[in-house]
Amino acid sequence: MFRNYLKIAWRNLWKTKLLTAVNILGLSVAFAAAILLVMTAYREFSYDRFHANKQLYMLYINTYHAQGLEQRANMPMPLTPAMKQEFPEVKAATRMLYTSGMLRYHDKIFETDLEGVDVDFLHMFSFPVIKGNTQAPLASMSNIVLSAKKAQSIFGNEQPVGKQLEARIGDSWKTFIVSAVMKDAPDNSSVEFDALCRFENAGGYESQKDAWNSSTHYVYVQLADHASTAAFERRAKTFVNKYFAERLRDLKRDGATPGENGELIGLHLRKLTDLHLNGIGSESQGKFYPYLLLLVGAFILFIACINFMNLTIAGAFTRSREIGMRKILGAFRLQLITQMWGEAVLVCGLALLIGLAAAYLLLPGYNSLFNSKLTFGLLQQPLLLGIAALLFFLVTLMAGGYPAWVVARINTIKVLKGSMQAGRSGKVRNVLMVTQFVISSLLICCTLIAWQQLNYLRKQPLGFNREQVISLPLPHDVNPEQALKRMRNTLAGEANVLSVSGTDINLGRGRDGSSATSKVSYDYKGHVISSNWLRVDYDYVKTLDLTLVAGRDFSPQYGADSMGLVINEKMAQQLGGVKAALGALLPVSDSAHPMQVIGIVKDFNFRSLQEKIEPLSMFISPGSPVQYIFVKVPRGNLPASMALVTKRWNEAYPGNQTDPSFLDENTDRQYRKEKRFSSIFISAAVLAIVISCMGLFAISVLVMTQRTREIGVRKVLGASVTSIVTLLSKDFVKLVLLSVIIASPVAWYLMEQWLQNYAYRIHINIGIFIGAAVIAVLVAVVTVSVQSIRAALMNPVKSIRTE
Amino acid sequence: MIQLRHISKHYPVGFGKNEILKDVDLTIFEGEFVSIMGPSGSGKSTLLHILGLLEEPSSGDYLFEGELVNKMNEKKRTQLHRGSIGFVFQAYHLIDELTVYENIETPLLYKNIPGAERKSRVADVLDRFNMVAKKDLFPNQLSGGQQQLVGIARAIVAEPRVILADEPTGNLHSDQARVIMQLFKHLNETDKITIIQVTHSEQNAAFGHRVIEIRDGKIQ
Repeated sequence: MFRNYLKIAWRNLWKTKLLTAVNILGLSVAFAAAILLVMTAYREFSYDRFHANKQLYMLYINTYHAQGLEQRANMPMPLTPAMKQEFPEVKAATRMLYTSGMLRYHDKIFETDLEGVDVDFLHMFSFPVIKGNTQAPLASMSNIVLSAKKAQSIFGNEQPVGKQLEARIGDSWKTFIVSAVMKDAPDNSSVEFDALCRFENAGGYESQKDAWNSSTHYVYVQLADHASTAAFERRAKTFVNKYFAERLRDLKRDGATPGENGELIGLHLRKLTDLHLNGIGSESQGKFYPYLLLLVGAFILFIACINFMNLTIAGAFTRSREIGMRKILGAFRLQLITQMWGEAVLVCGLALLIGLAAAYLLLPGYNSLFNSKLTFGLLQQPLLLGIAALLFFLVTLMAGGYPAWVVARINTIKVLKGSMQAGRSGKVRNVLMVTQFVISSLLICCTLIAWQQLNYLRKQPLGFNREQVISLPLPHDVNPEQALKRMRNTLAGEANVLSVSGTDINLGRGRDGSSATSKVSYDYKGHVISSNWLRVDYDYVKTLDLTLVAGRDFSPQYGADSMGLVINEKMAQQLGGVKAALGALLPVSDSAHPMQVIGIVKDFNFRSLQEKIEPLSMFISPGSPVQYIFVKVPRGNLPASMALVTKRWNEAYPGNQTDPSFLDENTDRQYRKEKRFSSIFISAAVLAIVISCMGLFAISVLVMTQRTREIGVRKVLGASVTSIVTLLSKDFVKLVLLSVIIASPVAWYLMEQWLQNYAYRIHINIGIFIGAAVIAVLVAVVTVSVQSIRAALMNPVKSIRTE
Repeated sequence: MIQLRHISKHYPVGFGKNEILKDVDLTIFEGEFVSIMGPSGSGKSTLLHILGLLEEPSSGDYLFEGELVNKMNEKKRTQLHRGSIGFVFQAYHLIDELTVYENIETPLLYKNIPGAERKSRVADVLDRFNMVAKKDLFPNQLSGGQQQLVGIARAIVAEPRVILADEPTGNLHSDQARVIMQLFKHLNETDKITIIQVTHSEQNAAFGHRVIEIRDGKIQ
């Protein structure tokens, strides 16, 4: 019996080679895409789930300023010891602070991320010690624990445990003894490090260990097994009142509005496993990212399933004679359904195999395109395998089960009498096709809008010169002020350098990927002034081509510039307009030493375009050191200028690598998330439309075969080829247009929500939807025309004779 | 063997109904060879379909070997199709994707007959119909007469008690038709299979024992 089914299935597939190929190809592509997307989503969800302890959290503080909520994960140093004492809910806690960037062993220097942590770190997290002291590897202040990878790169085949090495902390080298080697953290870990030492080694520990007003490091907490976050947060209220009394008083004085639970400062916990997608105050993927991936995968799979369904239903009608005959020969309905479904399983299985192979081959390309680290080993996860099996079952059920059910219900007599016209009543088919094209046009609209927005963000003038300015990050182990001076001097004579300046916060995101904000607020004439706080250096205005509205730039010709401020127009507004602001004395740190506004520049976008321009104050006091050097070079040969700057740097600081970039690169890099977002949409939209068109193509093949006689008769009666092509394509085009009309408002609504994230955004205009309609209709017409032109050109004598 | 009592059949047409069969009484005994004749649209095919359990009568009783068919569930009817009733059609209705051998084998597969017996029974029938050489051909490689032979072979391989033939020679020329009719006669006489055929041709009807004339849904 089974062999009989298999045989007939195979012969049937072979008979309709073209349709089968289209079917399998579409499904394989969809399977490959879905596999990759599900794997990506799974990896996103899998972050930090490898820890054996489930009660792991990151501590963060909500502060309700007068201007709004500030959320951050940086904590003052004395908080952790106090918390461990006062919270019975806290089983363990560790601070984590970047302590050094380089280790030295036998005069060789190794770039290393050395983190200062508390002893609890080792038993809170599941990073097992594989060599050396497993009990208390951080017992002594001079102990250092290396990751396996770092130990290998420093010591090679030598035994690392017990060896001495030095770490650069602040301005000096400190000696450590390797006490243990740890297993490398998996790459889906949010907690990353190359080496660990005691927290007390971190720079500034002595001066800040009792300072509640300076926040420097992250804190991870492990709650007791039965403790809840709610209990922790209740106790945190009294804790905050006790230790943050001064801050609370300041906030109240500035008229801060308490948050929803009545707190001005709140201490909260975020589950470690949520951290990757929902980070605190830093850039993270966004909670919805993996769900979006799953949704897109489901869409693509769904579209391919619809193809399958349509083709199977259509095919089933042409096979209805066989089905009818089988009924008469004594087949139960269930047997017929099993047979049809079995064929669906066969085809889906084949497609799944091809899809798996395709996904395997595409994986490296996919990884580099979307900047991810997927491996095929992920598929061995039982959960993922289970999901895949279930998904496969559902697909076959949807793609094969429904048509099987329809066919098995066919009235035997009608079939045998031939009164069952092969799939003429295409109601179901049309609904399915419209669904397909609704999804496709939805994705096309979203793609167009996301792409326009991204383009807008990149093209929008920012108010400063980003094409000609090189940003050079200063490595941590050089003296920044000295380096700036030295570069200024060496570059001064060069014809290819227009001006040089420095700053502590980069514009955009450099190759080092870092970004920061610094803010100040103080009382001025009875109200609170709040402003972004940016360290710059001489010639900042000139280097960036900022426009001075009033006053002047910082200049070495004026002695007192270290107490001067250059502000932007937004800041000037706060101070009562440009006239009032220029020359104003502002009590930034204390009223005894006010700082004077010496210049006002036109507003420029010093932050990403997601945010509105905020008040900004720029100062040049070396108290906060510069971290980036900006060099303006002339238009023309930009790569040569870049090479020159890099060369001069390497001459001045041999061995201290840095990675300079142009500012336009940096501002582009701010929109990585958007770029990834739109590249996912573009790929999804392309796949969706291609797969939909495969279906359309197959359906048009079927319809044309059914209508050959009609076409023949029409031709004999004198219809032109054009009129026949129009007649045949019209129905399909109508369906596609209907789909675009349904999809447009949905796309408009969804993308309007997305655009709300941007202070600077495009207005969605009707042109986008017209564009989407044109694309969809054009593709559909081309697909259908292939068939309809062939049908229209056929010799009518032939087609009439076929019946 | 077969007994129809007050059978009528009508289809709804617009607000009224189209009566196909009106109060038909009919008894057919085991081993008979009956021909149903009548002009187009007289209801003879519908009668045959009702006899073959492919259509349900609108009213009346149908007893197959003394059992009331109206009351049977789908499973029971399928069992009858498997074991007791064989069909032969004007358009042969062979399964195009199966070879001659496989076509004949299919009813045995549904009857769950073990492989060895299946083989010998199919081989038997092929032998009897002189089609051994053609067993691996597909239906479209055969002439109409040959296809109908395969159709009959498929109908009898499951050893039914009755064969229902719907204009079995309608698509064949007279020589082929004669061969088929002689085969029916032979099956009726030697295998004791009851045969009910619908036909237009007086010649074909002459092969049977009894002719039932049907006109406007009524037996004359």
